[in-house]
Amino acid sequence: MDWLEQELKQALDRKEPSPDFAERVRRRTRGDGFRTALWPQRWLAAAAAVIVLAGVGLGYREYQGQVARQQVMLAFRIAGAKVNHIQTQVKERMR
Amino acid sequence: MKRARRFALLGSLCSLLWAQQFKFNLDHLAGKAADVVDISLNGPMLQLAARFLDSKDPDEATVKKLLNGLEGIYVKSFEFKNTGAWTPADLDAVRNQLKTPEWMKMVGYTSTEDGETAEIYIHMDDKKINGVAVLVTAPKELTVVNIAGAVDLDSLSSFGGHWGIPKVVPPPHKK
Repeated sequence: MDWLEQELKQALDRKEPSPDFAERVRRRTRGDGFRTALWPQRWLAAAAAVIVLAGVGLGYREYQGQVARQQVMLAFRIAGAKVNHIQTQVKERMR
Repeated sequence: MKRARRFALLGSLCSLLWAQQFKFNLDHLAGKAADVVDISLNGPMLQLAARFLDSKDPDEATVKKLLNGLEGIYVKSFEFKNTGAWTPADLDAVRNQLKTPEWMKMVGYTSTEDGETAEIYIHMDDKKINGVAVLVTAPKELTVVNIAGAVDLDSLSSFGGHWGIPKVVPPPHKK
């Protein structure tokens, strides 16, 4: 038997796994399974968060719009009344 | 050079967002006032408001039309319980800003009888009105309005008589 045969025999010899090998494999697969099972829940939670945030954003936009509408109306009421009053006073004085 | 460009861009962006054509500098009066109206609406806010105005409501429909071409509406109105709460210097601080060539005093009157003064200034840009300033004072009142953009003063004035505001009709001329 030359050195090459010896090397091959050593390399291809049956080796027993370490005593905790089975447990490690089991633990790993259980972990992956756990993670895989959580994916849909996580996506659902993320989607729900996005929907809630979008809803809050739209609600706030609606609120801002209504406030802006009221402010515009009030601004025109004040400005209109003042301009009308000034024009009337000036017309009266010009008579 | 790049920095200067950035500042110029930032400046133009700010001017788009903040179209107020002069400073009011009247915040110190808020503490003395019994009633304060403070409205600051820039272009984007006006556009937002326009989307919420009801076209079926005649008043809101008119306002919606008027908002076209406006860049901002700014109102500060103070009502005081007592006279002497505001001083002529407060008004001068505003008035002095309207002494630039682009501002033109359109009308103004002073009533010695009831101590009322009122002025309307228009902001001209290339022979077009692109802003209005209204200053109104009474012994217990101070109101400053700036409407930036293409303003139709007649339409604005026509609001007298709307929304429960009595339309001021001059009394018959006495001979």
